[in-house]
Order: sequence, then C-alpha cells, then structure tokens
Amino acid sequence: MSDLMISIRYFGAYLKRYWLGLSFALVLMVLSTYAQINAPLYMGKAITALGQFLNDYFNPVTHATASKGKFYDAVWGMVWFYGLAEVAMVTSGLMTSRISAQSSGQMRIGLFAKLQRMTVRYFDTHQDGKILSLFTSDLDNIFNAMNQAIFQMVSQAMLFIGVIIMMFNQSATLAWVTVALTPVALLLDFFVITRARKYIDRQQEATGALNGYINEQINGEKVVITEGLQDESIKNFKPYNESVKKATYRGQMYSGMLFPLTQGLSLLNVAIVIFFGSWFVLHNGMSRAAGLGLLIVFVNYSQQYYQPISQITSVYNSFQLALTGSQRLHRIEVQPEETNPGKGHPLADIRQQVALDDVTFGYNPDKIILHDVNIDVKAGQMVALVGPTGSGKTTVMNLLNRFYDVNHGRVTIDGVDVRDVDLASLRDHVGIVLQESILFSRTIAENIKFGKPDASEAEMVAAAKQANIHDYIESLPDGYQTMVSDENSIFSTGQKQLLSIARTILTSPEFLILDEATSNVDTVTEAKIQAAMNNIIAGRTSFVIAHRLKTILDADKIVVLKDGRVIEQGTHEQLLAENGFYADLYHNQMVFE
Amino acid sequence: MQILIRHAKNYVRDITIAILAVAVMAGATLWQPHLLQKVISAILADDSSQVLEFGIQLVVIALLGVAAGLLNAVFAARISQSMAADIRAEEYDKIQTFSFGNIETFSAGNLVVRMTNDVNQVQQLIMMILQSLLRIPILFIGAVVLAIVTIPRFWWLVVIMIIAILLSSQGIFKRMGKNFFKIQNLIDQNNTLAKENLQGVRVVKSFNQEGAEIDRFTDNTDELVAVNTKIGYLFTIMIPIFMVVSYLIIGAAILLVGQNIVKNPKDLAAIAPFTTYLMQILFALMIGGMVSTFASRGMVSLGRINQVLKTKPDVVYDPKAPKEKLSGDINFDHVSFTYPGDDQPALRDVSFKIQAGEMIGIVGATGSGKSTLAQLIPRLYDPTQGTVSVGHVNLKQVNQQSLRQAVSIVLQKAVLFSGSIARNLRHGKPDASEQDMQWATEISQAAEFIDGYEDGFEHYVDERSANLSGGQKQRLSIARGVIGHPKILILDDSTSALDARSEKLVQEALDKELKGTTAVVIAEKISSVIHADRIFVLDAGQLVATGSHQELLGNSPVYREIYLTQKAKEEPNE
Repeated sequence: MSDLMISIRYFGAYLKRYWLGLSFALVLMVLSTYAQINAPLYMGKAITALGQFLNDYFNPVTHATASKGKFYDAVWGMVWFYGLAEVAMVTSGLMTSRISAQSSGQMRIGLFAKLQRMTVRYFDTHQDGKILSLFTSDLDNIFNAMNQAIFQMVSQAMLFIGVIIMMFNQSATLAWVTVALTPVALLLDFFVITRARKYIDRQQEATGALNGYINEQINGEKVVITEGLQDESIKNFKPYNESVKKATYRGQMYSGMLFPLTQGLSLLNVAIVIFFGSWFVLHNGMSRAAGLGLLIVFVNYSQQYYQPISQITSVYNSFQLALTGSQRLHRIEVQPEETNPGKGHPLADIRQQVALDDVTFGYNPDKIILHDVNIDVKAGQMVALVGPTGSGKTTVMNLLNRFYDVNHGRVTIDGVDVRDVDLASLRDHVGIVLQESILFSRTIAENIKFGKPDASEAEMVAAAKQANIHDYIESLPDGYQTMVSDENSIFSTGQKQLLSIARTILTSPEFLILDEATSNVDTVTEAKIQAAMNNIIAGRTSFVIAHRLKTILDADKIVVLKDGRVIEQGTHEQLLAENGFYADLYHNQMVFE
Repeated sequence: MQILIRHAKNYVRDITIAILAVAVMAGATLWQPHLLQKVISAILADDSSQVLEFGIQLVVIALLGVAAGLLNAVFAARISQSMAADIRAEEYDKIQTFSFGNIETFSAGNLVVRMTNDVNQVQQLIMMILQSLLRIPILFIGAVVLAIVTIPRFWWLVVIMIIAILLSSQGIFKRMGKNFFKIQNLIDQNNTLAKENLQGVRVVKSFNQEGAEIDRFTDNTDELVAVNTKIGYLFTIMIPIFMVVSYLIIGAAILLVGQNIVKNPKDLAAIAPFTTYLMQILFALMIGGMVSTFASRGMVSLGRINQVLKTKPDVVYDPKAPKEKLSGDINFDHVSFTYPGDDQPALRDVSFKIQAGEMIGIVGATGSGKSTLAQLIPRLYDPTQGTVSVGHVNLKQVNQQSLRQAVSIVLQKAVLFSGSIARNLRHGKPDASEQDMQWATEISQAAEFIDGYEDGFEHYVDERSANLSGGQKQRLSIARGVIGHPKILILDDSTSALDARSEKLVQEALDKELKGTTAVVIAEKISSVIHADRIFVLDAGQLVATGSHQELLGNSPVYREIYLTQKAKEEPNE
C-alpha cells in the first residue's frame, strides 16, 4: 500500500462517521466559492453602470433618461454576494472545526487505547520519547493540518478553479493574460520550496549535533567545573555554532523567500493585468464604461487567483507533516496486541505450585537468554533468585505474568499453562513490585489505590501502614490527598518503593514477584523497605530477585542463575555444602567485613 | 531588547539594506493602486500614451518589489543567523563561568532549553522583525494615508473601519487568550498521562488497569476537544467578521461615490484604488495581530536568555592570585553553608583540620551534609559563613588552576563525555601519557575491562555513556580523578555501583599508589571507610564525632546506630 493510501485510509477511518457533516460543509464551500467569484462581477457592473450614467448624464441627448438604478442594483448584488460568501464560509468553517477537534480527539484516544493493548515487548524495544512524540507532535500536526490546511486546501482549490472559469467566461484574452505567469510562479515556488527543504535537512543535522553537544556539556557541567574544562568546552563549542549558522542561513533564506516571492509575483501579475487590460480596453472598441468595469473585474480576479497559490504553498508543509504523522500512527495501529485465550480459565487460588518447565526464552529468536530452565515454588513458599547481572533473573520475572511468552516449555500455575488462563484473572492473582517504582501524577491516595480503585479509606491506610509509609504521608500537609508526580521530589527513591509496595499490598495478590532494589537509599529507609518486604511476602507464594543476604537466607529455596541456566538450587546450607558458585558468592561478596 | 540592539551593532550595514529593501517592497505594494487610478483616469480620458506610460511604470515597480522582497529575505536570513549564533556563543561563554550553585538554580535541563529552543525563537523573532514587523507599519500607515488622499472626504469611513476591526478583534483575542491558557494545561495533562502510562506500562498491565487508564485519558481528551472546538469556532468567525466589516465599508463607499458622482465625476477612477487600500489596511491589521503574537513568544525567550546573561557567577576566583603548589592540608574554620533558596543550613558550624596524607571517611544519614562538606573543599560552593582553606590558603584567595591541580573530586554521579576513553581520562590531566592512563585505570580497576577492548583507550564512549555499565562509568571516573596525582582526592560515594570485591581492590590500590595523597571518602556503607585514619560522623549538618572506627564505636551513639543497622542487615542472626 502506498504511503498516501495509508494516510487516506487512516483519515477515512476516523472521518467516516462525519460524512453527513462533511458533505454539508462541502456544499457550503461550493456555495461560498460561487458567491465569492460572482461578487467582483457586480463591482465591475456597478462601475460600468456608474460610467454609463455619467456618459448619459453629460450627454444632452440622454441627460433626461440617465438613471442610477442599475448602479444601485449592482452595489446591492455585490454586498449580497460577499455577505453570502462569508456566511457560507463561516457555517462550513464552524462545522469543519468541530469535526477536526472531535476526530483528532478520537485519534488521540484511539492511539492511547491501542497502546494499552499492545505487548510489553513493543515498549521494551521502542524509546518512550519516540512513542510519546506521536502524542506531542504527530497528533498535534494532524490537528493543526485539519484546522488550517486540509479544508483550506479544498476551498482554495475550488476558488482557484472557479476564478479560472469566471475569467474565461468574461474575456478569454484577459484570462490568458492573467494565468500566463502561473507556470513561472509555480516553477519558482517549487524551486524555492525544494531548496528550502534540502537545506532544512542539513540544518537539522547541524542543529542536532549542536544540541547534542550543548546537552552533554551542560548536563556534565559539574565535571566541566571540577576538572576545569571551561576553556576547552568553549573552544569545542565554536565549530558547532559556526556550522549551524552556515547551514541554517541557506534554509532560512529560501523559506524566507517564499512569502515575498508569492506576494511579489501577485503584485507583478496584477500590474501585467492592468497594463494589458487597459490596452485591450482602449483598442478593442468597447465602450469606456464597459471596459472600465471589465478591467476592475480582472484586477479583482487576478488578486483572487493568486490567493490560492500562495495559500496552498503556505499550508503545504503542514499538510505534509499530517500525512507522515498519520503514517506513523498507522504503523502503531497494526502492531500486535496481547493475546488473551478465547475461553481462558479464570484462575482460582494457588493450591499447589507455580513452575517453569523446561523454559527456553529469548527477547529475539537469535539470542536465547534462558536455556531449559526448571524452577518450581510450592504454594506459600518463597524462592530467591540469585545470580550475576545478565544471568536472566529479570527475564524469569517477565514470563510469570506474561509480559512475554516463552519460546519453548511452559510456565504453569497449579499445572495450568499461564497462556490458557484469562489474562486479567492471571494478573489479578500475580502481584509485582518492580525495582523501579513508578508514580502517577495524581494524589497519593489514587496512587496507592491504583490497582484497586474502589478500596476503602481504611484498607488504603492499612496497606500504607504495612508498607511503613503511613507516618510519612500523614506528616505531609495534605496527607493522602497530596498531589505527586514522578518528577517532583516529595518522595525519595526509597519512599517511592515503599509506596509501590503499599500499592501491591492493597490488591493482596496470591502470588508475588519482587525485585529488591540496590539503589542508593539511606540506612533508615532501607530498614523500612526490608520490613515492608517481609510484611508483603509473609504467607504468600513468591519469587524474589534477591540482593540482600537476609532475604536469601529467609528463602525456602535459593535458585542460582548464571548465563541463563540454573546452575544450583537448594537451601542455603545445601548450597554452601556444595561449595560451588553460590558458596563463592556468599564468601566473597556478601559477608560483612 | 537590549541584547538585540547590542548584537545588532555589528550588522548595521546589512540591517540598513534589509530595511531599505522592505521599504521598497511595501512602497511598491502601496503605489500600485495609485497607478491603477492613473491608468483608469487615462482610459477615461482616452489617452493611449499615458496608459502605456503608467502601464510600464506598474510593471517596473512590481518587478522592483519582487527583487526587493527577495533581497530582504537574503539579508534577513543572514542577519538573524549571525545574531543568533552570536547570542548563543555569548550565552555559552556565560554558562561556562557558572558555579554549581548557578547551575542548580537554573537546572541543567533548563539551561539547555535556554541555549537551544530559546535561541531559535529569538532567531525567528529577528527574522520576523526584519521581514514583517517593519513592513506592516509602513503598509498600514501608507494605506491609510493613500486611501484618504484618494478620496479625502471619506476619511471617516477609513477611521470607522479601523475602529470596528480593532474592537471586534479585541473581543475575540481576549476570549482566545483564556482558552489558549486552558488548552496548554490540558495538553500538558494529556501528555503526562501518556508519558506515565508508557513508563509504567508494566504497572498498568500487572494491575489490570488498562481500562481505567483509557477512561481517564478519554475524560481528559474530551475536555481538550471541547476547548479545541471553542478555539476553532473563534478562529473561524474571526476573519469573516473582519471581511464583513470591510465589505460593508466598501459597499458604503461605492454607494456614496455613486450618489455624488455628478459633482465629482473623477471619483469613478478612485473606487478601485480606494477599495484596494481598504483591503490593504485590513490585511495589515490582521497580519500585524498574528505577527505580534509570534513576536511576544520570541520576547519571552529573549527574556529567558537575558536572565542567564545577567546572572552573576556566585563563585569568583581572584584573577591576580599567584599560582602555587598547594599541600594536602585541609582546614575548616566554623563553616556553615545554606543552599540558595533553602531555609535550613546544610552544614552548621563545622570545624576540623586534616593533615596532608590522611585518609578521612565521612559517614552519616542521607541529607546529613556529607556531599556538601566534600564539595566545599574544591570550592564548588563558597561557605555562607566561616572559611575553608586548602594547603593553608583561604579558598577565596586561591588561584583557580592551582586549586584544580591540587584537589580532585569524583562525584557521586559518574559523568563521562562522548569520545574516546583516552579523551575522557585526559580531562583529568591534559598531557597524560599511555602509561599514566594505564596506571590510573589499574588503580580504579577499569584496566580489566578496557583490556578487553581491541582498541583499548581509543574505545569510544557513546553519548550518555550508553555503552558502559554503572560500575564501568564509576571506575573510569575514578581513573580520571586520580590520573593527575592530586594532593587531595575526594570520593563522593563513588564506588556505589561496584561490587564488594572490586571496591576493596580499588581501596587497596589507592592506599598503595597514592600514599602522600589526602583522601576524603564519603560512603553509605561503613565497610568502605572502616580503615580510614579518622572517620567524621555528620548528623543534620553538624560534625558530631571524629575518630577511628573502634573509638567511634565506643563513644558515638550515632555511629554505633549506623553500624548496627548495617551489620544486622548483612549478618544474619544465626
């Protein structure tokens, strides 16, 4: 499918429910165009009539019969047509601006809803910033284009054609004179636009390099200061600045030329029309009055005629942006979604065990991360996953509640493959506390009740207490109603983690996946986190990526992963007795000196 | 505005040309209707030769207009680029004089925006001033004057039209402004929701909240749509209102001309130019309104750049201070420090003396002032009260270069720059040899992974050091810190991402290779400073105890508490 077809389909899908409004708006546009191209005719008629009247009036023969009736008719006709043109334009404009706002809102919601249905894999393999730019830039471009470009282009195109038809109706010779310069104008416009585009690409490259440099230097300014690198930093900045100046100059020059060019060409064209028009009037044997009227009509038309040309060149860019934006949005719409089994088992309580059977998995097929992994945890027990960075601990977590699906083997709960369980029911039973805690921009209460929005106040407070964060929240002036966001620093990293523990406690999952953080938190907070983790683990079946010795020792079973394989498993004592990798790890890295 | 004028001085000639060109273009636009009137008069007088003469004038003047417009674009682009580059350079130079405090008051991200986006806005502002802002007053005033000259007795029609347009646009703009403010907020909320859902995709999915989030997003979007619709309506009616006003005035003018045509038969030729002038007045007002909204955005950016340029660096070195070799002694005399904008001091009345060659550990809870204390030694901040001396020289009188050579600090957050490893290491010692690098990286335990690279020290560090792990970054940053053989080495929690074994190796290497160097080590973990000659214990900005590990265990309750919690955490009760 060609890119243009993709865009058309994308817009078609969102605009089809507005077909009635759109066709009505279209009819109004036609009406408005019709009125707009007829109005100048009446101005010409008015002048002709007035000239005629003067002729008659000053001619003794016709003096008595001289009348301004035709003149008044023509003026009223002109005002009427101009009025009609504006009314029709306003009405269709009101309709299209409503449709633009609503349909682009639906595109926004459509994108968001689609993202919610997509797989975690997509988010892991695409930068947040890029996806976010669909909202911040592409949807914005589309809305702007719909508001200012798309419907504009339609009505301007109508005007263009309408004016041409009217001109040829009035006088083919003068019409030819008016359009004669068009090919030159279009060629020049085209030349300037392609030039501008070419240099703007270069400009973006140079600006990107400059911004990259500024970004890195200023974000590392503390090192620049501590190492005394200021002079070097300025010295290296100069060539970047120079190259941006050079690259931007040409691009700006050409895009800056577009406006004076179309404006100037329209000026020139009007001049030519006046020049030839007056010559034509004088040498074509028509009456002075009629000739004058014709000249005025053509001066008006030649101004109207150039309006679409300059308008279309100015909205062309935003039109182009909307097209590429819609193609990017389309690419999201065809992304795979999470699969939910048709008649999925609802999950009951976990009675026996959670297990990984011969699990092989890789984020992409050529690079296997987990090789034939077998781990099981009995109901009510805790398994600690231990191993060096990159051994596949986090990957195991990703499989348990189906952020990813295994390549071979299976993950089972009480013997049922998780892929056969209803996805919502599975995730209701599996709770997860991630290493990196996420806060949403809303109140603390809403953040804690995130997984259970209908939880009571008492339940929420109880969860916060168990997570050791209640006292701190109460110490804030607005308590649980305090607005938080990921960026403002009401909470430290450690406290954010406590909050996300509270969030999980509140949903009371049967089965728990925990990732102990090793981030820099002070000793007091760390003790609180430890206690909160103990609270949440107690009485639940759990998988813990363990970093703290205490957790490891508390585990019912320790599983040692290395390079994606289970190399040892058993209790602390058993593994120490084996005197293998775990024993080494324990002696060399964990024991306090 | 002063910034623009100051920088414009370098381009007086070019600016004059650009302004002349724009005046010629505007003049051509204004003169055309006037010539049209002459042509029409000539037609009415049946004067062929005059028609020809004015016709040629028309075409020549239009050509002149095109040429002047293009010339203006060329110069406007050149001036705006040059001035923007100059402003950017001035701003960059200024930022390089900033201290830690200055950077924190702005935040690095904010400074970047002021260097990039804001300068772009200003560049566009200059371009706009040169292209449009001058053209519009010329057009407006010219059209008003010429309209009145064309039919003097209709001056009042011109005035009525201007007033009517100004009044109606005021009403619309006011309403638009209110809605624009609303829309900005809604768009921010919308984008934040999207962003947080992307970052928290695992949280949303694991709590089955996709539906609730979609509802929330839909509510917000609906509000956005409602306001967008309102703004759309206002935009839709704005121009037609102006047009209707103008058409009514034009209709009235034609009618009035018609009524008195017998008395003033020459007015027949004036109708077309008069209406054209009225339309030019309308367009000048409309474009003027649009340009001034854009221009106000540029002015905001200009103001933000001005803030940077006007900021006084809050740490200033005495340029006349003599260069000298500083020893590794450190002296704090009743030092207090409060961060700009904070009410609570981060350090209160801290006094101590460190002998050259000592190893000092600093411990304390988060927020106790450890990093603050460390950052006063290399004079990243000046104390609010008291004096800090290094090598017995008060830092307020020290030579900048001498201090940098004597003191090296390795910050908590390891920052490397894109470029080769060698280049990064040479930031610590510009003339470092291969051997120097080998020596430094062996101390910091970076040599082991650098040896693994085929290109060794020439290995490229990506932007944001994306190709290095946290531990690798810290090791390189320690190497950069030691490579210059500093008299004083400060490690501000610089080994937090290293495993216990590597951390121990780094410490041993430092002990062995940097014997004469004063070491100040800040750590969360007591194990990192247990072998220090003395340990300083900080609590809420105060130095509450000093001594060796054993002494402190005996006499400092704060220290003992920290020790016990860490011990309990690491050593199981078996």
